[in-house]
Amino acid sequence: MENKEILIGEGVGFERIRRITGYLVGTLDRFNNAKRAEVLDRVGHETDSHVLEDKHTA
Amino acid sequence: MIQQIVKRDGRIVPFEMDKIANAIFGAAKASGGQDYQMALALAEQVEKMLENAAGNDAPTIEQIQDTVEKVLIESGHARTAKNYILYRNERTRMREMNTRLMKVYEDLTFQSSLENDVKRENANIDGDTAMGTMLKYGSEGAKQFYEMFILDAAHAEAHRAGDIHIHDLDFLTLTTTCCQIDLLRLFEGGFSTGHGFLREPNDIRSYAALACIAIQSNQNDQHGGQSVPNFDYAMAPGVRKTFRKLFRSNLAKALAVFGADENSEVDADALTRRVERETGTWVCLAGGNGYDEAVTAALTETLDEQTARRCVRFARKYADQETRGATYQAMEALVHNLNTMHSRAGAQIPFSSLNYGTDTSPEGRLVIEQLLHATEAGLGNGETPIFPIQIFKVKEGVNYNEGEPNYDLFKLACLVSAKRMFPNFSFLDAPFNKRYYKPGHPETEAAYMGCRTRVIGNVYDPAREIVNGRGNLSFTSINLPRIALNTGKVDEFYRELDRKIDLVIEQLLKRFDIQSQKKVRNYPFLMGEGIWLDADKLSPDDTVGEVLRHGTLTCGFIGLAECLKVLTGKHHGESDEAQKLGLAIISHMRARMDEAAAQYKLNFSLIATPAEGLSGRFVKLDRTRFGEISGVTDRAYYTNSFHVPVYYPISAFDKITREAPYHALTNGGHISYIELDGDPTQNLEAFETIVRAMKEAGIGYGAINHPIDRDPVCGYTGIIGETCPRCGRREGEGVPLSKLQKLGLYKHLNSTTLGYHGDPAEESDRQPNELKIVKK
Repeated sequence: MENKEILIGEGVGFERIRRITGYLVGTLDRFNNAKRAEVLDRVGHETDSHVLEDKHTA
Repeated sequence: MIQQIVKRDGRIVPFEMDKIANAIFGAAKASGGQDYQMALALAEQVEKMLENAAGNDAPTIEQIQDTVEKVLIESGHARTAKNYILYRNERTRMREMNTRLMKVYEDLTFQSSLENDVKRENANIDGDTAMGTMLKYGSEGAKQFYEMFILDAAHAEAHRAGDIHIHDLDFLTLTTTCCQIDLLRLFEGGFSTGHGFLREPNDIRSYAALACIAIQSNQNDQHGGQSVPNFDYAMAPGVRKTFRKLFRSNLAKALAVFGADENSEVDADALTRRVERETGTWVCLAGGNGYDEAVTAALTETLDEQTARRCVRFARKYADQETRGATYQAMEALVHNLNTMHSRAGAQIPFSSLNYGTDTSPEGRLVIEQLLHATEAGLGNGETPIFPIQIFKVKEGVNYNEGEPNYDLFKLACLVSAKRMFPNFSFLDAPFNKRYYKPGHPETEAAYMGCRTRVIGNVYDPAREIVNGRGNLSFTSINLPRIALNTGKVDEFYRELDRKIDLVIEQLLKRFDIQSQKKVRNYPFLMGEGIWLDADKLSPDDTVGEVLRHGTLTCGFIGLAECLKVLTGKHHGESDEAQKLGLAIISHMRARMDEAAAQYKLNFSLIATPAEGLSGRFVKLDRTRFGEISGVTDRAYYTNSFHVPVYYPISAFDKITREAPYHALTNGGHISYIELDGDPTQNLEAFETIVRAMKEAGIGYGAINHPIDRDPVCGYTGIIGETCPRCGRREGEGVPLSKLQKLGLYKHLNSTTLGYHGDPAEESDRQPNELKIVKK
């Protein structure tokens, strides 16, 4: 048997673990529809380290 | 002559005039009537009318009832007619509810959870399993029963209509929400979970195992989460006991090897106990209490000084190493257990939370450090654990500034959180938390349930404003956007809000009445083992009402952002004016709760509702009622509690400062989230800066969300775009085995070399790394 030809992981997806305003973290397939929508809508929060430091020492 | 009638289920049965007469008589009696002959005469009229209408065809039940009403009204029996009609409507409503329930059961049975949103109402339940579905059957049936027979009609109507949401309605007659478990107290002297006695543990591994058992047992008595408010303090004695045992056993080995002692175990045992009696102390992790010197001195009675010293050094070195290893394994087992034991009804894992961070003893510190390492390592294939929810308690003077005793653990917590999203961070210096804090009294350190519930103040017993043995009894949330949509103007809004608050207070009290009638034997662990404060003073058949008064009765809310959008045209993320109104509204709600607390001497509080199943329910009902309104009902969810909407672009700092004042107002619980797009492990400085900004802004409880992707094939955990950074494959693609083997995986053609395994020896040798700042 030629080891080098064996492919591992065909049909296997990536796990996307997300936490959204609830106490549960996990992949999205268990989330109800409202929570899924929240995850899809959300945007990241900008964090410029210098800006943060300036602001809270001001 | 009418011979037959058609029943609702389609059966044809003989016509019986008596039945009609009895129904009419019953309706007449309800208004004080007593004349059966009159009822009979009216029934004859009904029959005549039916004959004229339908001839000899068998009439249906509906036709008969319509005719009865007509006859009663036309013959002037108004009150009887009214009673008859009301009774008929009530029966119709009951029938419809049964049909609806059966439809729900049908969907639960035949649809997969992908198709059925109800099955995914609670993400913790696998709605596709037998036990998960059985729980749903029970839960849906119970809810229906309560709505029909137990709930006050006004409360049931408000819940059904979507003005309020009674959380965990399925458990209405059964139990309370959650509890903060004092493990130190539970373990002292041992405890029972129902069958068999568990002795006080004597090893860190047993401490950790029993912690899981305690959480799981208590979970069976309540419908909400279980938290440990003092995890580091509670595990520290386990480390102490383990170190003592390992010192003794390693001393025995040393004596055998260096002292040529054939009886070394007995001798080591006797010697160490003797020194304990003489010094009044145990050997300990940090050393420096004189014990080691005393053992050395005692050994010189039979050995030369150099050998004696060597033996003690040996014993300490290996005791230290093995204790660290044992602690790591205990924490690793705990994390695995709390992620995998489906011990809760419906095949759920318990909702577990652990608070820690302030124990500065060497033993407590070791526990924290190893728990964090175990969390970082992940589960069997390196997966991110989703339980327990971990909360690191940030406290100035203890772990916040460089030079403070647990500062290194704070840094480690940030590192682990940047990778695994846990721990979350609570802030004991937030003014509303600090006011309870007494140094040296961990029971006064504010604790949070993982979901955000907070129970510390105590109106019922102001001498005990502590976290141990207390929790929430029930909570009900108000639909704020609905009130705004109904009223449109601010003063009318407040009037309607007050009416809803009145209703919620009434409903919480009614539910508390029901809960109060339960007995200790209904909660064999929570009450029977004295987990709940003062339950140890009760006997099995005592009612629990008095001790339940330590718990909170809580009003919640959802959708402040959408509510403000209706009232001012903008939400509070984008407008200072809206923010001002938002704070005024929530302050008012809090004032009402404080009033109720003072009036009833009960712990009424205000919570920023967690809202998992609730987030979609209200908006759906409102969209049907009010139509699609931009920025209000046009999404599938209402914004959580007082949060700035998730879709609104705002900087981390601004979000923190916008939301912080609401934490002070929501004494029943609160949390703020910051969302990071990238991988924070690549910029730990920014991560820590966010946590510090939370502390400085007066946030009580905060968390940082970021995406965690994982490739199950090669085990890579981090951010994955199109291709996996480790093995290069795309989603759904296969990757050659040879490539994986080159990466050090699949060496034996199985998964034992897959992922990160957290070798304890390596863990304990690890030195802290310089924080490298790698800007994106």
